[in-house]
Amino acid sequence: MNIATVEPWVEAPLRRYVDDARARLALLLHTSGQVVAQAGFTRAIDVMTACALASAVHATSAELGRQVDGRPFRGLHHAGPQRQLYLAPAETARGAYICLTVFDDESSLGLVRMYFDELCKELMVAAPPLAPLREPALAVDFERDLNANLAAMFGRN
Amino acid sequence: MSSPFTALLESLSRQRGVRASLIVSENDGLVVDANLRFGQDGDRVAALAASMYRKARMSASAARLGAVGFLQLDAERGRICAVGGRGDLVIVVVAEPAANVGLIRVELLKALDSLT
Amino acid sequence: MADDIHGWSEELARDPSSLVFLQLGEALRRQGQLEVALKIALRGLERHPRHAEAHDLVARIAVDRRDFARAVEEWETVLRISPSHLGAMKGLGYISFQQGRFNDAERFLNEASAGGAGTDVDAALETVRRSSGSIPVPRVGDDPAPDPQRLFADILLDAGQTALLLDANGYVMGGLYLDGDGNDLGQEIGAQLSGISDEVVRATRHLDIGEWRSILFETHAAVVAMAPAADGSLLVVAASKATPLGLLRRLLDRCAQRAAEWLGAGGSR
Repeated sequence: MNIATVEPWVEAPLRRYVDDARARLALLLHTSGQVVAQAGFTRAIDVMTACALASAVHATSAELGRQVDGRPFRGLHHAGPQRQLYLAPAETARGAYICLTVFDDESSLGLVRMYFDELCKELMVAAPPLAPLREPALAVDFERDLNANLAAMFGRN
Repeated sequence: MSSPFTALLESLSRQRGVRASLIVSENDGLVVDANLRFGQDGDRVAALAASMYRKARMSASAARLGAVGFLQLDAERGRICAVGGRGDLVIVVVAEPAANVGLIRVELLKALDSLT
Repeated sequence: MADDIHGWSEELARDPSSLVFLQLGEALRRQGQLEVALKIALRGLERHPRHAEAHDLVARIAVDRRDFARAVEEWETVLRISPSHLGAMKGLGYISFQQGRFNDAERFLNEASAGGAGTDVDAALETVRRSSGSIPVPRVGDDPAPDPQRLFADILLDAGQTALLLDANGYVMGGLYLDGDGNDLGQEIGAQLSGISDEVVRATRHLDIGEWRSILFETHAAVVAMAPAADGSLLVVAASKATPLGLLRRLLDRCAQRAAEWLGAGGSR
């Protein structure tokens, strides 16, 4: 499967994850919606849209969890007739990421969750130490970073 | 906490050499109920056993062999037995290699009958 | 069949002493509803304790439930009531064979054959004799003709049994899978079934139960056993649903030995 990453240390764990879990698509992103890595997407616009939606859904479900259970919900699963998605956070030494996984009947929710737990452990081990804190990102920086990440993954400079 | 499956699972787990018994959802690979020995990872067993059972069912169907009932996997350090084929539920037993698999099979088929 | 079952059930409800429980129990047994079939048969037996066919039905259900002790008890009762009952002789022959008591199996089947049980019993007798060693199984190298399709032909005991050796890609290396019309479906069946081994490897790896040795499953139409062989290849043995699982394991072991010899000799005989 085609995998592209902004942060190279993510590639091996993500590749193992999509292979083992037999995922159709996977997306790793910052909670802000910035893409970190993708597997299976062919168009930048799809990645950008998926990142924005996944980030918003994660923020919504986390907040709903806080409201009804006192803490953020972790995993979120939706099942369609052909495809299903699993959206869950992955904590690493570099902060929290969100992983969106799309799978079909070649896999199952149980398998995706099992391999997702392994992905989290591998990311935790593989994450390099955090760089010194940057200045707070302005909206313009965010847009610039987002576009730079997409350009890096789809080969446009 | 007891469920409608508690007695069924306890009966399976009483068989000599049985390490765990579970009822799992074949399509989701999730535990519906389980009777596990300490240290057994029920989620893992459910995901993998359901996936294996489903693959056997789909392959047998594609090969025009009909629906799969009982399935038995033998490995160096353990056995997995499963029955299903009536709805989404699969009953799974993890056993020692030396367990009496004939008896386990009979008990699993009885358990399946009582599920439906 | 569903209509028949419904009709017989109604008839039995109207008249609990009716012998229709024999047809109803047998139909349920064939559908795999063994516990219900057993209940019907035992209820009928209570009302007809000297009826040989009722004991025969309970015995057949017991065999399907792998309760061989009960089946032997019932068939012995049948023979006490009706000493020339061919079904009971065949059944006792079958269980003796399943339990490895080949002399007993041969004796019962001989009696059934002498009683006019037909060609099926003659074929079963040959199977028993071959299994007991009266007819030797040739080894690789005994037959100079290099025909991979016939790799397991002399090991398989009847026309309903089949064996395939598949490579790591699911391609057939040896053996045949014939349908009722004599067409070889080996490539198609092999491709479909070979995918199961990937799931098995994954399960054993993550459950930490060591290397897999075999997988066996019962389907509506057949019993199938598979085992890993050299160089990532896969052995598949299938037989009719009536084949005892113990016999299927035995066939798998024999075919595995043959496959190992054949692969060890570079894939030629």
